[in-house]
Amino acid sequence: MHTPSNEIMVTIRGLKKSFGENMVLKGVDLTVRRGEVVVVIGASGSGKSTLLRCINLMEIPDVGTIHVAGESIGDNAADGSFRMFPDKVVNRLRTGMGMVFQHFNLFSHLTALENVTIGPITVNRIDPEEAKRLGVEMLTKVGMVDKADAYPSRLSGGQKQRVAIARALAMRPKLILFDEPTSALDPELVGDVLATMKQLADEGMTMIIVTHEMGFAREVADRVLFFDGGSVLEEGTPAQIFCQPQQERTRDFLRRVLSPAATVQHPPLEPAVNTETQATPDSSLTRRPT
Amino acid sequence: MNYQFQWGVVIDNLPYLLNGVWLTLMVTAVSLAAAIVIGLGIGLLRISHRPSLRRIATIYIEIFRNTPALVQLIWVYYCLPVLTGINLDPISSCMLALSINGAAYVAEIFRAGIQAVPSGQAEAARSIGMSYALTMRKIVLPQAVRHMIPPFVNEAVSILKYSSLVSVLGVADLTYQAQTLSTTTFRPIEIFTFIGVVYFLLCWAMSATAQYFERRLKASS
Repeated sequence: MHTPSNEIMVTIRGLKKSFGENMVLKGVDLTVRRGEVVVVIGASGSGKSTLLRCINLMEIPDVGTIHVAGESIGDNAADGSFRMFPDKVVNRLRTGMGMVFQHFNLFSHLTALENVTIGPITVNRIDPEEAKRLGVEMLTKVGMVDKADAYPSRLSGGQKQRVAIARALAMRPKLILFDEPTSALDPELVGDVLATMKQLADEGMTMIIVTHEMGFAREVADRVLFFDGGSVLEEGTPAQIFCQPQQERTRDFLRRVLSPAATVQHPPLEPAVNTETQATPDSSLTRRPT
Repeated sequence: MNYQFQWGVVIDNLPYLLNGVWLTLMVTAVSLAAAIVIGLGIGLLRISHRPSLRRIATIYIEIFRNTPALVQLIWVYYCLPVLTGINLDPISSCMLALSINGAAYVAEIFRAGIQAVPSGQAEAARSIGMSYALTMRKIVLPQAVRHMIPPFVNEAVSILKYSSLVSVLGVADLTYQAQTLSTTTFRPIEIFTFIGVVYFLLCWAMSATAQYFERRLKASS
């Protein structure tokens, strides 16, 4: 089991983001230590993905500060509004943060190996031979080295996602952001991806994971954040969140995702969270009921 | 119909007519190459994040798509020198006119091709720190090219056909040669039927070659 250090990797203060009239993030504070695995759960549209996308500047935050490895990733005005650094700086900052997407986004005109090496070659400008060694090493790590020469169209969803993880790893990131990495996978393919992620966690990678895999969250997370309406409503250890949720909305959410029957049929009279979580101890690889 | 075809006039003047083919191909090739370069630039402006740049590209495209190529050609040859003092010979004027006209269409092809590449591709590239230019060059354009081949061949064929307009400026292309030959031999039916066939074969060869490469590209992916 990994143990996070006391060194701070990510600090977010007062992060706000709106899309037009719709305020998606309403002031998020978050501190992530090096080596920590933070899992973000919450209903669709609660702002989880937007949070990740703000951290690696895929979205431009409106207000707030974000520090990654001690460095501010934005140029804040006096009134706190967030301003982007020049492209060059943004590109450099992004190399330090890996991102794994729900739909993999493997480069479809490149082989698995080329997908992994293109970043090191074009961005870090390392020697192509050296990059190839690095690529093979990363594909080996995710168990995909035998598919090194395959194009993404020949890979299953789970294989694609593992290559995507290798692609992120090849940049030697300080942290990796996972945006619902298993939501687009067939149920039988989820396990391999989660196992790869668990392995990364055990090796001490700092990870922020948006997921609906409650079993995985319970097993691997150091801390679970429950997102609701654009802010963190509740956070704690997996045991605290899953066994003793303090907020009614958290209980409500967990009841819905953990017991599919409840959403289809009448809700049970008693909140079933506690018994639910204990009744399925080995559910690390269970998939969110859909 | 009692017209007596006399194909001898075509056969006797074959070298003269085919001489025009070279000029047609040359004008087409140069115009096409220039249209690609200008069109890529306009196409990138068209998808820029800056509204002002997008507007410039849109205005360019609308102007050149909504005025006749023949008017553009004559304008470049007769009006441009008066307004700018730049004097171009007829061939250069033709190539310039066909290039800027073709660029408007090529820009739309680039835009459509680039937008056909899922946005996640560019996003993933940016997420590993690739710059916009690098993302375009290494990730988006190589994939966009596949979507662009069919409309692009259409455009090449259409530039080849438009190149016949250059005869109005006295450039000795295939059409011009046919016209002068007709006036001296009084055999326009044979001559224009013949050059119609020549144009058809040129265009058809272009489409067929493109289809061949398109199939190969598909097979390799």
